[in-house]
Amino acid sequence: MPSEMKSEKEDKKDEKKQEIKEEEEVKKEPPTPLAEIKGNFVLIDRAVSTLEPRFTHRVLRTLTTLVKKIDVAIIRNAIEEVYPKESATKTTLLSWLPSSTTEDVDMQVDSIPTSATTAKPVPITSEPVPEIDIYLRLLIINQLLKTGGDISKAKDLSFETVKKMQALNRRSLDSIAAKVWFAVERAFELGGDLAEARPMFLAAQRTAALRHDDDTQASLINRLLRSYLAYSLYDQADKLVSKTTFPASAGNPQYARYHYYLGRIKAVQLNYSDAHTNLQQAIRRAPPATVAPGFYQAVHKLFVVVELLMGDIPDRSIFRHPVLEKPLKGYFEIVKAVRTGSLSQFQQTVLKHATLFQADKTHTLITRLRQNVIKTGIRRLSLAYSLISLKDICVKLHLDSEEDAEYIVGKAIRDGVIDGRLVHEKGWMTCGGAGGVKRGYGAEVAETFSRRIGYCLELHNQSVKAMRYPLNAHRKELADAEGAREREKELAKEIQEGDLDDEDLGGEF
Amino acid sequence: MAQNQLKTQYNDLKRSFDAKPSDLKKCGLLLAKLKIGLIETGLLTPQGEHNVDDLVVARDILEIGAIWSIRTRDVPSFDRYFSQLQTFYTDYSSVLPPSKNEYPIRGLNLIRLLTQNRIADFHTTLESLPLPADAIADNQYISHPVNLEQWLMEGSYSKVWNARERAPVEEYKFFVDSLMGTIRNEIASCEEAAYESLPLKDALTLLFFNTQSELLTFAQKRGWQIDLSKSAITFATKGEEQVEIPKQMLISSSLAYARELEQIV
Repeated sequence: MPSEMKSEKEDKKDEKKQEIKEEEEVKKEPPTPLAEIKGNFVLIDRAVSTLEPRFTHRVLRTLTTLVKKIDVAIIRNAIEEVYPKESATKTTLLSWLPSSTTEDVDMQVDSIPTSATTAKPVPITSEPVPEIDIYLRLLIINQLLKTGGDISKAKDLSFETVKKMQALNRRSLDSIAAKVWFAVERAFELGGDLAEARPMFLAAQRTAALRHDDDTQASLINRLLRSYLAYSLYDQADKLVSKTTFPASAGNPQYARYHYYLGRIKAVQLNYSDAHTNLQQAIRRAPPATVAPGFYQAVHKLFVVVELLMGDIPDRSIFRHPVLEKPLKGYFEIVKAVRTGSLSQFQQTVLKHATLFQADKTHTLITRLRQNVIKTGIRRLSLAYSLISLKDICVKLHLDSEEDAEYIVGKAIRDGVIDGRLVHEKGWMTCGGAGGVKRGYGAEVAETFSRRIGYCLELHNQSVKAMRYPLNAHRKELADAEGAREREKELAKEIQEGDLDDEDLGGEF
Repeated sequence: MAQNQLKTQYNDLKRSFDAKPSDLKKCGLLLAKLKIGLIETGLLTPQGEHNVDDLVVARDILEIGAIWSIRTRDVPSFDRYFSQLQTFYTDYSSVLPPSKNEYPIRGLNLIRLLTQNRIADFHTTLESLPLPADAIADNQYISHPVNLEQWLMEGSYSKVWNARERAPVEEYKFFVDSLMGTIRNEIASCEEAAYESLPLKDALTLLFFNTQSELLTFAQKRGWQIDLSKSAITFATKGEEQVEIPKQMLISSSLAYARELEQIV
């Protein structure tokens, strides 16, 4: 939402002015990962002391890019620097890092200068806030997952971290916790036993709901949905959705995921129009295509299929998008087949790309398209001919028998796909001609109109809600106003008293 | 002790179920007793670790129960047995040896959903089958309902009609009758829309009736006009329906716009 972003930006601007110098340092130089981590520590610390989750959000926003840049040595350095010498937390944290192998050594060489350039820190004596501990753990888990070799270790660590988080029970931890849950899921999923983590997620979700911990709740609902859908448990997923409310304050990425999962469930339940809205939301809320191409592609694949199932033809431009063009090639061919209404072409395409569709879990949805293909075919025929024999329909649409054709055409007429009549004795279909655009007045238009208006109003209200006002900012304005009023009053008084000298009014004279 | 009793009852059940023709009444009595036994041993809805053999026995009992429900034409009971079996089919699938009855019963469930016109549930269930999509076509128990659904949706009613004799398991036929009722109504509503008039003889074949009297009663039920002299059915064309202006809705939405506008300005 544009206004939200805008307000956030302004927010940041405000903030920056007041920012302490060290923070600015981090911003200016393209920060080394280590410096970035340390900058993040400062932010987390501030978030905890000012009870302002915004700072934490800022830290977490850089997480993905940061994870790509760091390695074991950097994390180790960061831990060494932030914790006092003989800290128990430090030793446990370090123990989770893989011991420096030969590979690490040369990496360490790289990173030594970075630690040298940073000013020699004063020996730290106090233990930093536990949020930092958890944040470091999060980095370590991500690192372990990145290298891929240590899935079981990552799983153990994530398990322990979760326990620790729950024991700490600090509200300032919530947003980090949400990310940790994501890492937990990743660990279990890569380990191939996502189902095992489900009871843990469910229990945590309950607690989060009770504590109004929106970040964690949003994250966990998505974790659960993903886990259900991975095992095709659509029933359970649907029940979960109906029994929970997705926190309205959740971030856009979480919303995007949630909408995607909802869209998937709805599509399976044949509720295509809802699925369509959900997927559209998911696309709108998703990060830009170049940042998260995987999600973008997955949503679009489903989106195309759902649009076809609704009887629409997806936009041609979707298939020209640089990120989508290649992965959606199979889908494009399906669209072409549906558009021309050729059953044989459709079946060939399905066969050709069967493995692709199965991997995308859209195969069953695509097989449902068969009836749409037939409908489009009949529709095209009805527009082209004013009179056509059932036999020809049968041949043109590759149907099995004339008898079938009769039933199918009959159904199409009843469903309002075409405007026509069957004449059984002669064995043909007469079509009603082009004058069939009678619908579109009255209630339907009003309904569409009110839906669109509703959407605009909703957007407006959401934008208003999303605007943020920094604490106490209005005081300054108030003070200004107060001062101005005061001056005005004085001026008025002076005028009244006639004390005003001529020189005061016009200096030039 | 309870275990032993369960075992003998189970063997009893198996014997009376396998007997031809199976003793449905006795099965029902035994099933009721066995279910109590299963609850006492915690096997009806098992949680955690259990002896594999016990689980297999419990599953067998429930499967017999499901099939028995179909044979006694008790669909709600089938529904209950099926949801109890779900635990065995999904949660314990890695522990238990696959059951030869699993897919027939799953297929029966699919057909049941189809006859009750619960298409959304049908697809959800289909989607959650532990089968890759191409294996569905090879599994005759599953492919049968899947094909039926496809034909129903596209309108190839004659194929559905012809497939009714090709049920892979005897029990499937139980649902066929109610399915045919649904189809007939579907076809009838299509005909009302698609034809102006139809010769009786053709209507007979289109609706899969055997005798004219059956057709006549059916036509009466749907309120069709039958011209016996021409031996044809004429369908009353529905006149243009008077479009009513939804006043209530228009007023309320206009008011809502006004209110929102006021908030904005």
